Amino acid sequence: MVDKDTVLELLKQVYDPELGVNVVDLGLIYELDVEGGRVRIRMTLTTPGCPLHEAIVGGVRRVLERHPGIEDVDVRVVWEPRWTPERLTPAGREALGFF
Amino acid sequence: MVSRVSRLPFWFLATGLVSFAAFQLWSLADLASWLAAFAEDPRMPSGWSRAHLLVLGWATMIAMGAVYQLVPVVLQNRNLFSERLGYVQYAVFTAGFAGLAAGFLAADAILIGGFAVLAFAGILLFAFNIGATLIRANAWTNVTAGCAAAVFHLVLAGAAGMLMGLNFAFEWWGTFHDRLLGAHLWLGAAGWFGFLITSFSFKLFPMFHLSHGHPEALQRWVAGFLAAGVWTGVPSFLFNAPAWCHWIALTCAASAFVLYAVHLSQIVRFRHKQTPGAGIRWSRHLAIGQASVAALLVPLSAVFPDIVLSTRMAVVIGWLYLWGWVGGTILAYLSKIIPFLWWTSKYGSRAGREKVPTMAELIDDRKVNALLTAIFAGLFVLAAGFGWNSPLLQSLGDGLLAAVSLLYAGYVGAVFAK
Repeated sequence: MVDKDTVLELLKQVYDPELGVNVVDLGLIYELDVEGGRVRIRMTLTTPGCPLHEAIVGGVRRVLERHPGIEDVDVRVVWEPRWTPERLTPAGREALGFF
Repeated sequence: MVSRVSRLPFWFLATGLVSFAAFQLWSLADLASWLAAFAEDPRMPSGWSRAHLLVLGWATMIAMGAVYQLVPVVLQNRNLFSERLGYVQYAVFTAGFAGLAAGFLAADAILIGGFAVLAFAGILLFAFNIGATLIRANAWTNVTAGCAAAVFHLVLAGAAGMLMGLNFAFEWWGTFHDRLLGAHLWLGAAGWFGFLITSFSFKLFPMFHLSHGHPEALQRWVAGFLAAGVWTGVPSFLFNAPAWCHWIALTCAASAFVLYAVHLSQIVRFRHKQTPGAGIRWSRHLAIGQASVAALLVPLSAVFPDIVLSTRMAVVIGWLYLWGWVGGTILAYLSKIIPFLWWTSKYGSRAGREKVPTMAELIDDRKVNALLTAIFAGLFVLAAGFGWNSPLLQSLGDGLLAAVSLLYAGYVGAVFAK
């Protein structure tokens, strides 16, 4: 059994390796549902046709699957609504030198 | 969907780096002699051989690898039409350009003709594979359309080159050879490299700046002026048109390059990442420099056409365009493309499972910046040496250019060991 906060902490271990910012602080996670051992995520990437698509989405799936309290992971990538910089968290903005 | 990392681009990038290193070592080996002769008349066996080693063995090889890497990505992770065909194409094209460079060096007309046909066959296979991938995806954007236009012009440049190669062997066309040469150079330089660099930058430049919401209207104007420039220039060369036809072609191409530089500035204004990396910054400096030179040439060539069309000026302009903008942009982007490719291949499947490095940890941006600065300083000194006909400046410039280029190729190539 896991809760949302635990899942978010796990997701913070997955980085966009080019930007050096994790997927949570980048604002890539649109929806997160946790039911018992089932985790469902609706997420996006900073741009459609991202060269790191497989690595980032696979990283999200892998980091959750290795947690003993999680039995089932469903990750769905969506392009609507498009990601915008307004979704960055304050920590994400600071890491990017956002101004 | 792409389920694994293709190794195909590695072969092109690695072979391109080897060709680049071979060119630089060759330059260091007989520095003053070949440059002095090249500045007087670039049409000599050794000059042709070096030009094809650099333009086909390095720039086109790297560009093909980048296309194989980026087209599936831009098409949102669709597979190539045929990866196996990509390997066949790699073998055919590599044998073709290497034999062609050797044939020119040996001044052997039969070798030149034979390997020109083989190199062209490699280009045709490449065009078929990329064309089929793009048509099957049917997702046309300024990036994919620009890539298709680039490959189309590569085929035409290759066809003109192959016809010239056959003419070396069989002497079919007499003085038409020179007109074909003009079209070959213009199709390759402005068409293939012009469309490829501009269209790929429309994707990569905003991506590395994390730019969002920037206007894209200028992208079509860039492509339109470039197409107008290429297709005014090609018949001008083929039909030996009056100078004003060539001037119109130059003006259109210069307009495209100026608008391209303006568009890059638009993208920078909408950035959300403070530092895109030294390579990306340099690619913009080069675009601005290239646009400035092109814009200067338009009035200069109208007032002093004989000076602009002289052999010496043609060498300076050709060197600045091909080595400066095309080669420099490729070098600058390599500092990003190679870490991207390597990270995805080595660490992509480990992300989320263990701690993996960021790309910034694979390559030191300050070293990239220092090396690129030294390369372009060498290029500037060499161009000045050509312009002033100073063998000393030529030797100093090319010595610096070749030595630092070797260091840079080694440094960027060392990412493959991390």
